[in-house]
Amino acid sequence: MHPAEAAGRLSAHELQNARLGLWLFIVSEAALFSAFIAARYLNLGTSRPEELNQLLGLGITGVLLLSSLTAYRAETCIAHGDRPGFLRNVLWTVLLAGVFLVGVVVEWGEGFHYFPPSTRYGTSFFSLTGLHGLHVLSGAVLLLGIYLHGRRGRYGPGEYWPVEGVVKYWHFVDVAWVFIYPTLYLVG
Amino acid sequence: MRPDRLPEKLSVGGRVFGALGVLTAVEWFAARWPGALLWLTLIALGKTALIAEYFMHYSQLVRPEE
Repeated sequence: MHPAEAAGRLSAHELQNARLGLWLFIVSEAALFSAFIAARYLNLGTSRPEELNQLLGLGITGVLLLSSLTAYRAETCIAHGDRPGFLRNVLWTVLLAGVFLVGVVVEWGEGFHYFPPSTRYGTSFFSLTGLHGLHVLSGAVLLLGIYLHGRRGRYGPGEYWPVEGVVKYWHFVDVAWVFIYPTLYLVG
Repeated sequence: MRPDRLPEKLSVGGRVFGALGVLTAVEWFAARWPGALLWLTLIALGKTALIAEYFMHYSQLVRPEE
């Protein structure tokens, strides 16, 4: 085993490969979301129901953007050796993920009443928010994982690739919502 | 990384978040403008560029030392 690997640290070459692999994964995920978004426009054009809860949509958008800031702060803190800051910001990110998911559940409750999944808009709404919600949930589980490892003393300056990977994934989840939000709530 | 640069790096995150908030507010109004789909697409691309560059450090792929 390479000494750097034994110390839990990736060599510069390994780190570059890991980053490239993650970016390729993110691009493949973006293609999946793009297909769902394209289906919305193909099925419905730019029309949308009036009953959408615009305030809730804007609110959960703000929550997800804020979670990207706390995720960024968590990664930056561990990169600079600030473990308490890292742990605090990861926990905030998980909490905000939970708030976002509660908001989606509330919106689903209203959606089932006004535009159930059997309608054309409902099909797009529930499939897009469901797909995205699953990504939020998986991201929150991964964030909890790095929180627990971080509490046990793992990660530090120069050896935080798992944190970087999870945080990049979390930012991708945010980017996906950047396109889903106008697609479902604003266009039309 | 130098610990004394932590506050500076954290403030970059705050400024990017502020810019994302402003763009989201503009997006809200742009939905009522003529040609809204084009404006909303441009704003979403702008927000993506901010997140990819400052939060996801996209440029690390071509400049690993960052």
